Amino acid sequence: MAMKFSKKNFTDRTKENISDDFMRQAVASAQERLHGRRLDAAEELGSWEEWRSHGEEIRQHVLENLDFYLHQLSENVAERGGHVFFAKTAEEASDYVRDVIKKKDGKKVVKSKSMVTEEINLNAVLEEAGCEVIETDLGEYILQVDDHDPPSHIVAPALHKNREQIREVFEKKLDYHKTSKPEELALHAREKLRQEFLDADIGITGCNFAIAETGSISLVTNEGNARLVSALPKTQITVMGMERVVPSFEEFEVLVSLLTRSAVGQKLTSYVTALTGTRDEGDVDGPEEFHLVIVDNGRSEILGTEFQSVLQCIRCAACVNVCPVYRHIGGHSYGSIYSGPIGAVLSPLLGGYDDFKELPFASTLCGACTDACPVKIPLHELLHTHRRIIVEEEGRSPISERLAMKAFGIGAASNPLYSMGSKVASTAMKPLTKNDRISKGPGPLKDWTDLREFPAVGNTRFRDWFYDQKGGK
Amino acid sequence: MKVSLFITCLVDMFYADAGKDMVEVLERQGCELSFPKGQVCCGQPAYNSGYVENSKSAMKNMIKTFENAEYVVTPSGSCATMFKLYPDVFKDDLNWLPRAQELADKTYEFTQFLVNVLQVENVGAKLTGKATYHPSCHMTRLLGASEEPKKLLNQVEGLEMIPLPNAHNCCGFGGTFSVKMGDISEQMVDEKVNSAIVTEADYLIGADCGCLMNIGGRAERVGKPIRVMHIAQVLNSNE
Amino acid sequence: MGGTIQNRDAFLATIATQLGREPKMKVEKPIWKHQPQRTVLADASLDELLGVLRVQCEQIHTDIVETTKESLPVALDEVVKAYGGGPLSLWKDGRFGEYGLSDLLETKWPSEQIEVNSWDPSLGEKNIELAEQANIGITFSDMTLAESGTVVLFSSADKGRSVSLLPTHYIALIPKSTLVPRITQASDMIREKLNNGEQVPSCINFITGPSNSADIEMNLVIGVHGPVKATYMVIEDC
Repeated sequence: MAMKFSKKNFTDRTKENISDDFMRQAVASAQERLHGRRLDAAEELGSWEEWRSHGEEIRQHVLENLDFYLHQLSENVAERGGHVFFAKTAEEASDYVRDVIKKKDGKKVVKSKSMVTEEINLNAVLEEAGCEVIETDLGEYILQVDDHDPPSHIVAPALHKNREQIREVFEKKLDYHKTSKPEELALHAREKLRQEFLDADIGITGCNFAIAETGSISLVTNEGNARLVSALPKTQITVMGMERVVPSFEEFEVLVSLLTRSAVGQKLTSYVTALTGTRDEGDVDGPEEFHLVIVDNGRSEILGTEFQSVLQCIRCAACVNVCPVYRHIGGHSYGSIYSGPIGAVLSPLLGGYDDFKELPFASTLCGACTDACPVKIPLHELLHTHRRIIVEEEGRSPISERLAMKAFGIGAASNPLYSMGSKVASTAMKPLTKNDRISKGPGPLKDWTDLREFPAVGNTRFRDWFYDQKGGK
Repeated sequence: MKVSLFITCLVDMFYADAGKDMVEVLERQGCELSFPKGQVCCGQPAYNSGYVENSKSAMKNMIKTFENAEYVVTPSGSCATMFKLYPDVFKDDLNWLPRAQELADKTYEFTQFLVNVLQVENVGAKLTGKATYHPSCHMTRLLGASEEPKKLLNQVEGLEMIPLPNAHNCCGFGGTFSVKMGDISEQMVDEKVNSAIVTEADYLIGADCGCLMNIGGRAERVGKPIRVMHIAQVLNSNE
Repeated sequence: MGGTIQNRDAFLATIATQLGREPKMKVEKPIWKHQPQRTVLADASLDELLGVLRVQCEQIHTDIVETTKESLPVALDEVVKAYGGGPLSLWKDGRFGEYGLSDLLETKWPSEQIEVNSWDPSLGEKNIELAEQANIGITFSDMTLAESGTVVLFSSADKGRSVSLLPTHYIALIPKSTLVPRITQASDMIREKLNNGEQVPSCINFITGPSNSADIEMNLVIGVHGPVKATYMVIEDC
């Protein structure tokens, strides 16, 4: 699945998802549960703001010195027998992975969850080359079995599905005949997937953080699938976005603590695994061959711009879990594998405004995302920066809106003009007003009154009353 | 104490009563009030829509208008937040930056001013009934005024405060968002209205007329029985 | 047996250009302004850490058994039987002997037809097969993080990754002296190894309870790909 997965426009996607009651209920209850868990986890620490500052400082330092840390990382991976491939584009990355697998004559590939492999459209490339690719994260597996339904959440990709829908998919595709109890569904997946792990020639993982000093990559899961993917197949290929590096284990542990608390409210997830190179001499499990693919795919163009801070992201989805817009439209409305506030900032940067220019406007700038971010990315400010660029530099807003805003610039700067306008408004609105309310507004007001009553312009403005009562001053 | 009122467009045109209530509350606290005549709009509608350049003339007008004020007090957390952002807007303009900073530093949202500057939490208000409070986003998160309204409301005689479920979620106003993204805004405001109804409160209280216009307008349209009040109206009640 | 590196120079040059400077060859890590992780449970005694672990085990759906070195064989035998007995998969680890478990492993269990398979590098992949068929995997904890309820396992030739992963149940033997406040101390231990000129092992696992997933309606399901149940046995050793 490439980053963009829908040909429909934003409005149609949104309408469609808003009418999906199952999805909305699933998202709302997940948000509420995670919100509480995250707050509890933060409160427990007692000095959450200090943790956030620490996380921010580490991430900023890494981005400022990214070339150095990637150099160090690659040297240390190679020293431990791993092969490092720097990929400028999505195609270069997925082609490299395909060629490695071809060379190993690999047929069966097991994967643990990775957003960047979605971004580079890896599964499609490998399947075209004749490989069987099996997603092993339970959420990803559900989506794959359901004819490649796109992910709707960067941590819980199948969040939009309820248990009954999952049961139906399993029944249709996996010969499943039990109930919709999550335990039974998960057990079925476990049984189906266990043999696949044992049979696979190739394991593909993402990478939560790479540790430059030791050449290690780390995988953070609850299910243990990433451990299986990296322990059993003879060849392991890890794909990482180039920004996901940290200096050493000292910073790694801080960011992991922030990640697991922010993502799921856990102090640590069940499995945090740090893997270094190929298996050591004498090891029986672990890969004999290891490849690390470091992907740019548009990220370097963000460096040095006012959007640089978005690369601080550690993909915890805390912003998604508090977003009141995501809550109602779900992940699929964004049309990108990256949804929610982080997706609304990142997707236009990686995928361009042609496809994603609506996303920065699908926000009330309420700031919940910025508040939740464990590494202090000013998400709502970045959404605003997108807006400014879209209307001022790109000139992509409708002409009518541009004219209106120009008029605003003139009217709102001049008291005489405003005074005249607001006085006239009261008279002009009279015919539309009933019981101090306007229910069917003209022109731009219609969009408001389609949904809500609009208050009538008062006969006496505050300023008139004030002068009348207190005398001019 | 000399206070210059920054009344905001919405209160000036649509919610003059809330403005009058604020005036009376402040006067009872001994403030000497003025209304600098040149004030129009803080520029937020254009600014938030991305038209930063178009919004600057409105901002400069406000900076000039309040140049001589000692304290600037406004019945809107969102508009106060806009003033606080002026220094960032003019960060590369050495002429306007210090003036923008001066305005930002002396601007207070109404409840902040009462609690933090005047140091008063009980203003002697009486209002019988049950109420719930919607914490507006800009006011709570960006301005950081989360506790002040609660402190004041807790002192209102006869008023029982009931927590609003999922209070932290935005009501779906967001300025031009409310009309540009009507489909989404509708869902958000419906949830907010329903959360308020669940509390069985008589009043939904807020400190930002934009949010109140959105929530109140929707509640009325769908026929939900809850009265929307600006916090200044509550603090000036005596019933 | 060094690996290869491809396309690096141009890739990194682009980054440096974007950042508006020449490529950097040396960077000193700063002294971080904030280090809140250093204060967590900083002054806690071992007993206090054990208390924290106990509470945390409830949150991570893990049973905790506290025992002495002397009663360990009996206690372990009980837990193994409660999980339904063998086959068992174990690390090849001198600590089993040090903690008085040789008799249990070599005599008692075999006499009760409980199959005991210790990791043996000379058997190659057979080890993985045995671990996969095992009912219970048993390892020691190299370091135990009280705050999160985590056992830290360093892999080696004798200590396969599969033992704590493939069996249906998992038992971690935790000498009380391995308790530390949190993952910060694990990073300190790794620093010490590096300072001593050692390499980090190919695999370090931080394991916190049984495997689980919240991918279905964000409902927690215990036991997905890894062990479905876990027990920590804390051994009084100091």
